[in-house]
Amino acid sequence: MSDLTLGALYGAVTLVVMFSGMPIAFALGVVATGFMYFCMPPSSLDTITQNVYEEMASITLLSIPLFILKGAAIGKSPAGKDLYSAIHTWMHKIPGGLGIANVFACALFAAMAGSSPATCSAIGSAGIPEMRRRGYSPGFAAGIIAAGGTLGILLPPSITMILYAVAAEQSLGRLFLAGIGPGVLLVLLFAGYAVYRAHKEYKAALVIYEQGGAKSAYLEDEHFTLAQKVEMLPRVLPFLVLLIGVMIALYGGFATPSETAGLGALLALVLLAVIYGAWKPKDLSPILSSSIKESTMLLLIIGMSLFYSYVMSYLHISQSAAAWVVSLHLSKWLLLAVILLMVIVFGFFLPPVSIILMTAPIILPPLKAAGFDLIWFGIVMTVVMEMGLIHPPVGLNIFVIKNIAPDIPLKDVVWGVFPFLILMFVAVLLLCVFPSISTGLPDMIMGAK
Amino acid sequence: QNATLKISHQFPGGTVTEGDFRDRLTRMFAAEVEKRSKGSLKFEIYPGSSLMKTNAQFSAMRKGALDMSLVPLSYAGGEVPEVNIGLMPGLVTSYEQAYGWKNAEVGKELSRILNEKGIVLISWIWQAGGVASRTKPVIDPDDAKGMKIRGGSREMDLILKAAGAAVVSLPSNEIYAAMQTGAMEAALTSSTSLISFRLEEVSKALTTGRAGAYWFMFEPLMMSKAVFDRLSKDQQATIMAVGAEMEAFALNSAKADDQAVADVYAKAKAKVVDLNPAALKKWQTIARATAWKDYGERNENCAKLLKLAEKTL
Amino acid sequence: MSHGIELEPPRAAAPPDNAVVAAATALLNKLNHGLMMASMVALVLTAFVLTYSVVSRYFFHAPTDWQDEASVFMLVGVTFFCTAYVQSQRGHIGIEALATLLPPRVNAARLFMVDLVSALFCAFFSWKSWTLFHEAWVDGQTTSSTFAPPLWIPYAMMAAGMTILTLQIVLQTLARMTNKTERAA
Ligand code: NA
Ligand code: NA
Repeated sequence: MSDLTLGALYGAVTLVVMFSGMPIAFALGVVATGFMYFCMPPSSLDTITQNVYEEMASITLLSIPLFILKGAAIGKSPAGKDLYSAIHTWMHKIPGGLGIANVFACALFAAMAGSSPATCSAIGSAGIPEMRRRGYSPGFAAGIIAAGGTLGILLPPSITMILYAVAAEQSLGRLFLAGIGPGVLLVLLFAGYAVYRAHKEYKAALVIYEQGGAKSAYLEDEHFTLAQKVEMLPRVLPFLVLLIGVMIALYGGFATPSETAGLGALLALVLLAVIYGAWKPKDLSPILSSSIKESTMLLLIIGMSLFYSYVMSYLHISQSAAAWVVSLHLSKWLLLAVILLMVIVFGFFLPPVSIILMTAPIILPPLKAAGFDLIWFGIVMTVVMEMGLIHPPVGLNIFVIKNIAPDIPLKDVVWGVFPFLILMFVAVLLLCVFPSISTGLPDMIMGAK
Repeated sequence: QNATLKISHQFPGGTVTEGDFRDRLTRMFAAEVEKRSKGSLKFEIYPGSSLMKTNAQFSAMRKGALDMSLVPLSYAGGEVPEVNIGLMPGLVTSYEQAYGWKNAEVGKELSRILNEKGIVLISWIWQAGGVASRTKPVIDPDDAKGMKIRGGSREMDLILKAAGAAVVSLPSNEIYAAMQTGAMEAALTSSTSLISFRLEEVSKALTTGRAGAYWFMFEPLMMSKAVFDRLSKDQQATIMAVGAEMEAFALNSAKADDQAVADVYAKAKAKVVDLNPAALKKWQTIARATAWKDYGERNENCAKLLKLAEKTL
Repeated sequence: MSHGIELEPPRAAAPPDNAVVAAATALLNKLNHGLMMASMVALVLTAFVLTYSVVSRYFFHAPTDWQDEASVFMLVGVTFFCTAYVQSQRGHIGIEALATLLPPRVNAARLFMVDLVSALFCAFFSWKSWTLFHEAWVDGQTTSSTFAPPLWIPYAMMAAGMTILTLQIVLQTLARMTNKTERAA
């Protein structure tokens, strides 16, 4: 059997086992063990557990639970809601200000949490009801939050970037910096669209009202006194302290990325204790247990994915697949397009974590050979995976929205996110044309590579 | 009989003629053995840890799950303490001494111990290393005092600590960033890695190993004994012969990299200095009291190996 | 499907109908709960350890060389010790696209197969982890760092965690087989 045929078989069996509904972690382990048994020397079976351990015992990977803890500490406390209200109080006067406030709140939260669904639920649970109360159409409100939530993996810290940095052997600190520019770009695009769309909905509501129809909440005026506004300010402070503190520690040469993860988590817990008085085991245990549950689930998938790709490499499948891609002699940009298309297809079904681990051994060698900057590609791939989080059939953020606002029909949510998908696609194009949107900041701060 | 053998290593992949010499060596070895065995032995090379994690290679070879690997021997120090001798500061100070080990008592004893552990040494490869620093050059132990340095191995960390340095540990893909931000001020590693990590961009000084070094690393091409024993006598002889022939290439390439790293850093306007015999002696004295002592007390094998190695000084 | 956040608060699953299975499940739940508590402490401790290493290096000029490995060990422990707990709430995500398409009986057979194969795999993995632990224990293996902690510690946690996970899946399968009415175990 040729390596490529074997590869096709490996892929097919994986699909069958995955779609059987077996948890992803076990499915990967089962497929890898099965192929190991039939196609590799018997002694290989004795090395499985050591391989899984060696892959997992990396301090970079193990900073994931700490980044998750940091996000959960903020997301499960009143801090997330406070952040949102503070921004809202200051922005509501601007046309579409409420939408912008939600985009900004998502971005700020994303800069503290490592995953997208976490961002989505933390801001969405306050933001969606508020937008709907103020007359925003349900699909639009859902779209803003679903899309804003995806910033969670683009703005540092990001769980998927940690995995990418390990797989591509790139500096995590540099990769984190490279995500900031594109993150800001997306925030601007989203905010711009929010203004446009809110303006359109406002005018439509006005027309209906003037023709004697119902008065939409859009047309109600909301007012906050200056005192109210000032009173809200200190509530954003903890976020800024956390954000700036962690940045200084990392980029000021005080801490390694993994130390930063510990520092950030601890700082978040301290802020909770000081500001919200949440320090008793009773207050902390839901935060800790949900962080542990999520990271256990993720790390088990990560460990098994790496074992899965070890078998793929031993059987020469990844190398043959990579060599096959190279042998197509695609032009540089066509190669990129094909690879990104593959990421999109994977994104139909799999969470970003699995996509990176399963595709990295195949796609990175050809990209490297074609001369792409792997830091830049990591960012482009992240934006494409963000799209996967909100596009059907399996978009994790859409599930989160369905959970926060079960009464919004799925059809409305899907149509609501559609414009944002286009904006993300535009961002990918802009990144290809102007790579310095991403690489400019790390080059400036850490020196050109 | 026919066999396809897998060679794994952690260094950047290239071709027979281009790239990291350790990768080139495995490719030259593979081509030559394939030719001489008339195609009965074929090879697949996995560069850049693309098969398994660096630390898993030694154990996988012992179990027969991996055929061959080119890896710093001391990486397996947690599993087989004896192998720490492969990166013992100041125990080897020149290439002449290093390449003399194979036929000296210490080499024979090391081969015997590794054989017992299920490993066959195929090609003896040694490399000198130096120190890249973002502040001042590190020559004397006194220079290291108070500096944040990455030693990269247990034994190097021991002498750096004894010299008063603040030893930092971080994964190798973070070295560049850490040097950039100042989380780390200096790093000890092989000349080849000093080049491939591109630390010259963030360094102000380099101490080379051109004129002798206390950092000499043994990174042999090794084979699983279980796999080796399955081959025919002819095939075994071919592998050992080609392995030995590769050593000249390794020696020349390692020396060339010691020079190349000096050129690269000089071009990047870093201050390039060599280690002087007096400084080397000082490091050796520290090592004798710390790393050597620690090693010799591990077990009888270690004590014996150390004694035999000292004879080659 | 849960990823990134909990989509719904965990509901305490109804105890299995069979008395023996129910008793065993209750016992395992207690164990899982205890391990979860220990893991919470370990997670906070890890954050402290990493912070301490920064503080110690910058303010006391006394660098630590054990923080990375201590953290790795603790987090490996957290991961494996809590994997059974996550499984008890069916928290390991999978692609459940087929669940709604299949007729109930076929679906039940599918779920049974999935659990059976998962249990077999986890049992195999546990067995190989215990062998690895045994090797590290007998040979006195350590990591190759300066700190050089013994490797049997993380291996033992991995082996124990995977064993408990296997038990958990087996109990869930038994519960599904012995429950009088069809319901999600
Ligand atoms: Na983030
Ligand atoms: Na999707």
